[in-house]
Amino acid sequence: MPKAGSPRDNYLGVRGWVWAGRYKIERYLYILHRITGLGLVLYLGLHLCVMTVFRMQGEDFYSAVMRLFHNPVFKVGEYLVFAALIFHGLNGLRLIFQELGFLLGKPKPPIYPYRDSLRRRRPLVLAMIGLVVVGAAFVLFDFARGGP
Amino acid sequence: MRNTYLWLLQLVTGGLILLFGGTHMVLMHLDDILGFFGIDIGEPTTWASMMDRAGRGFWLAFYIIFLALVLYHGLNGLRGIILELTPSPRMERLVTGLILALGIIAFGLGIYVPAQLFAG
Repeated sequence: MPKAGSPRDNYLGVRGWVWAGRYKIERYLYILHRITGLGLVLYLGLHLCVMTVFRMQGEDFYSAVMRLFHNPVFKVGEYLVFAALIFHGLNGLRLIFQELGFLLGKPKPPIYPYRDSLRRRRPLVLAMIGLVVVGAAFVLFDFARGGP
Repeated sequence: MRNTYLWLLQLVTGGLILLFGGTHMVLMHLDDILGFFGIDIGEPTTWASMMDRAGRGFWLAFYIIFLALVLYHGLNGLRGIILELTPSPRMERLVTGLILALGIIAFGLGIYVPAQLFAG
């Protein structure tokens, strides 16, 4: 139990992994980044096991399973993985830029009225969301045409 | 200090995964869009296509590096999430050890078949 007045007073705990309260959009992007990251780690584990086992069974088994993966249910799942990758990748790129201080403009003295750091970063956030939407639509086009 | 380097490596692997993962995903899944731009790579998920790639040293090296990058990035991210639960130092060492073991096993599993196929 944290002491009163300690920095952990604002700590949301495990609940903060899925709920951001009155925090701004960046906190929800953080939650989505985490959820997509965990999903992709799970997918990576399955992908590694499945591809290794299937290839060890030989051509006939491998080809039969690949045909099964053309089933619409698997294709929807595959699209979700792709969309999660696009979001996680582009949001991760935004985080790298922020971490290293790129695209944030020159620092200015905080003299009233000034824009706080979240508002200064907001255009980068909106640009990233726009790119994710365009990327996801682009991939959807390929999947809708009969894709993978 | 060690965690600073782990975090820096997390950023570097993240950037590299964008390149490697982007290449993998476009080649494996966006063949229709590639076809639109006049690039015909055939059906990349067939046995023949997979065997063709398996025989090329470039693709073997590509996928070994890609696997190492995603395993580090994914498992270090998972470790960071687990350590947010602020376990005791002993539990932290245990989590780190388990994650490392999982990474080594997954890497071995992931390169076993491609290396076998490449060796013929």
